[in-house]
Amino acid sequence: MEAFLEGVVRTATPLALAALGETVTERSGIINIGLEGSIIAGALGSVVGAAHGGVWAGFVFGAVCGLAVAAIFALFAVVLRADQIITGTAVTLLALGGTGTLYRLIYGSAGAALNTPTLNPAAIPFLSKIPVVGLALFAQPSITYVLYALIPVVSWWMYRTHAGLALRSVGENPAAAIAAGVRGKRVQFTAVLFGGALGGVSGATLVLAQAGTFVEGMSAGRGFIAIAIVVLGRWNPLGTVLAALIFGAASALQFYFQAIGTNLPYQLFLAFPYVLTLIALAATHGRVSAPAALGRQDLELE
Amino acid sequence: MHDVALELASITKSFGRTTALQSASLSARRGTVHAILGENGAGKTSLMRIAFGMLQPDAGTIRVNGDIKSFASPSAAIANGIAMVHQHFTLVRAMTVTENVALGGRGLLHPRKARSELLALARRTGFAIDPDARVEELPAGAQQRVEILKALSHKPRVLILDEPTAILTPIEAHDLLNRARELVNDGGTAILITHKLRDALKFADDITVLRRGATVWTGRADEATEDALVSAMLGGERAPLESLEGNNSRRKRASVSEVVMALRNVSVRDASGVERLKAASLEVCAGEIVGVAAVEGNGQHELLRVLAGRIGATSGVVTLPPSVGFIPEDRQRDALIQDLSLRDNVALAGAGARRGMMDWVAIGDRTRNLLGAYDVRARDENVHASTLSGGNQQKLVVGREIEWAHVALVAENPSRGLDIHASAAVRARIIEARDSGAAVVIYSSDLDEIVSLADRVVVVYAGKVSECGNDYESIGRAMLGVTPP
Repeated sequence: MEAFLEGVVRTATPLALAALGETVTERSGIINIGLEGSIIAGALGSVVGAAHGGVWAGFVFGAVCGLAVAAIFALFAVVLRADQIITGTAVTLLALGGTGTLYRLIYGSAGAALNTPTLNPAAIPFLSKIPVVGLALFAQPSITYVLYALIPVVSWWMYRTHAGLALRSVGENPAAAIAAGVRGKRVQFTAVLFGGALGGVSGATLVLAQAGTFVEGMSAGRGFIAIAIVVLGRWNPLGTVLAALIFGAASALQFYFQAIGTNLPYQLFLAFPYVLTLIALAATHGRVSAPAALGRQDLELE
Repeated sequence: MHDVALELASITKSFGRTTALQSASLSARRGTVHAILGENGAGKTSLMRIAFGMLQPDAGTIRVNGDIKSFASPSAAIANGIAMVHQHFTLVRAMTVTENVALGGRGLLHPRKARSELLALARRTGFAIDPDARVEELPAGAQQRVEILKALSHKPRVLILDEPTAILTPIEAHDLLNRARELVNDGGTAILITHKLRDALKFADDITVLRRGATVWTGRADEATEDALVSAMLGGERAPLESLEGNNSRRKRASVSEVVMALRNVSVRDASGVERLKAASLEVCAGEIVGVAAVEGNGQHELLRVLAGRIGATSGVVTLPPSVGFIPEDRQRDALIQDLSLRDNVALAGAGARRGMMDWVAIGDRTRNLLGAYDVRARDENVHASTLSGGNQQKLVVGREIEWAHVALVAENPSRGLDIHASAAVRARIIEARDSGAAVVIYSSDLDEIVSLADRVVVVYAGKVSECGNDYESIGRAMLGVTPP
């Protein structure tokens, strides 16, 4: 049981990081489908950063790479008001191909075993001794604790600062926000960059806290899953993290079922997290709605 | 201190090939109410959007207290003490009143502090408001109060009000205009955009008249006459005012008329379960105009939509003809699709009930006929609806709905925001439809319009519909729920 819960939190951490950033982005009215691109760029960036300056330099450089990819998206989607879905898809494909190419350029086509420092689980005294959930929650790599700290900070910023109010209002009704003196495009640009940076950290987490190496395409759709998590979490930070845990649980269950060896085809278990999302989306439908201006590149933002 | 609070000199602005403003000027003295008069499309709103930083002028200068300024955005204008109450609300519907008023601030957001500041402001200015209500739950009149409080929260020295009385009851409107001067702080200036020249004469100190983007008249209100202002507003196209204010010649009604629309004990609940219409009964006969009067938010919105067949009744019996024409209040949002051509918009009439192939040639002909018959000024039927002025948009909607439905028409504030010419045209068309045998229901927040158009008046109060005499006194009483003595 403890091993299962530990797996839930471990799987959920990178998803929650990316989804938390995407929550902020979407509250500004921009849907960044290019999040997947930020994650894979962050993963490669973290390898480079960690090789030169250690694990934490890896995280920082991962964030920078995720941010850089998001900046490309923001240039087209926010500044030039290009279609967000098409731009995001292009950015994702560009980043997936680009990281693969760069990786081979830097480390050779063999993809030689990399000497990447990794983040080991760090148990927090006392807290990790709590029965059942102690180890799962408090014996994780320290990036998980960074996530714990980010949740209240992002929540507080979103609901208790004027900048947070400006962000939410741009996502609901940009014309109203602008008439009230908010700089609409700047808010959206910043929100996209923040989401990209957290996407980068998410990718870095995959490398530095889990796999220990970079593999082409290792983001494996997590950017898209994170976008589903944002919907499931009803566009608020705490909800997003809880939704990420549900996803983590579904993924961990899938491994568990595969491991105990049933006669059912394993593809059924692979589909489990997605089926769960569909059920959850249907069940929560209509209660809290998406930011009203989400994905609307046609709205004036001068 | 300079005695001119806001000066706009030789402002020119074009949108594409159309010139909205051509060397327009305005000089608002400190401590005055300054009215900007003009027909729709005269450039009143564009000029004020430039003063508020929402638009950038192509040429011309803006002076605040004598200093030349240029506003890249509304935030720059707000920082210079200018605030604007917009005609089309700029509120975030999903947020609370407090959040909307706090929007645009900096630093930490203290919900309780923002709430108590808002309440204090509301008390000081007399605009009662529930700070915790979501804007989308509020009726239009209350939303307008939020807009005004939002503007006042910046402590402006110049307050611009764009057609602020368009959706208010006569009493509310009177009250607001009376207090326009107090709304701004000591020595502040209020600029009132309006197309009602009586309001300008009555409430303003100075008046500036715009026509086709240029300033054609400016001076003291007490030196102006109605005639002088009308000829300034209309230029060479001047027509006697009486003939423009709606022809209320009533046809002798047939002694026995066929009932076209009927409601019996109809109740309607909205999405949140509130009963908006309570056991309402109403019969509308062929060849009559039934006027509906109500204070905003009393259930008339639902009554009209039930009559038009746009929403269903929760209980009761609704009898309607197969097609009912509907002219909704917010034509830009609800009546036309701005980014579609006029032809496509005409094709939309009754679209929900049609099947099969589109006969575009016939629809094109029908659209051209409509443009001619209803005097819609457009280059041709292929231009986007958004390129038409408000008056022409409304004429198109009225024409489309009348031509489509023939027998029944429901109109909600059909002349709201239109200039004198366009209002007169719209009213004339509605009367024509009545005379040719249509059953017509018209709601208007302008009592003059109801009294002049309606053959019979009903009042909606707290969801109940009651018959009422066609005079100001009894309508006014019934609207406030006062039963006749």
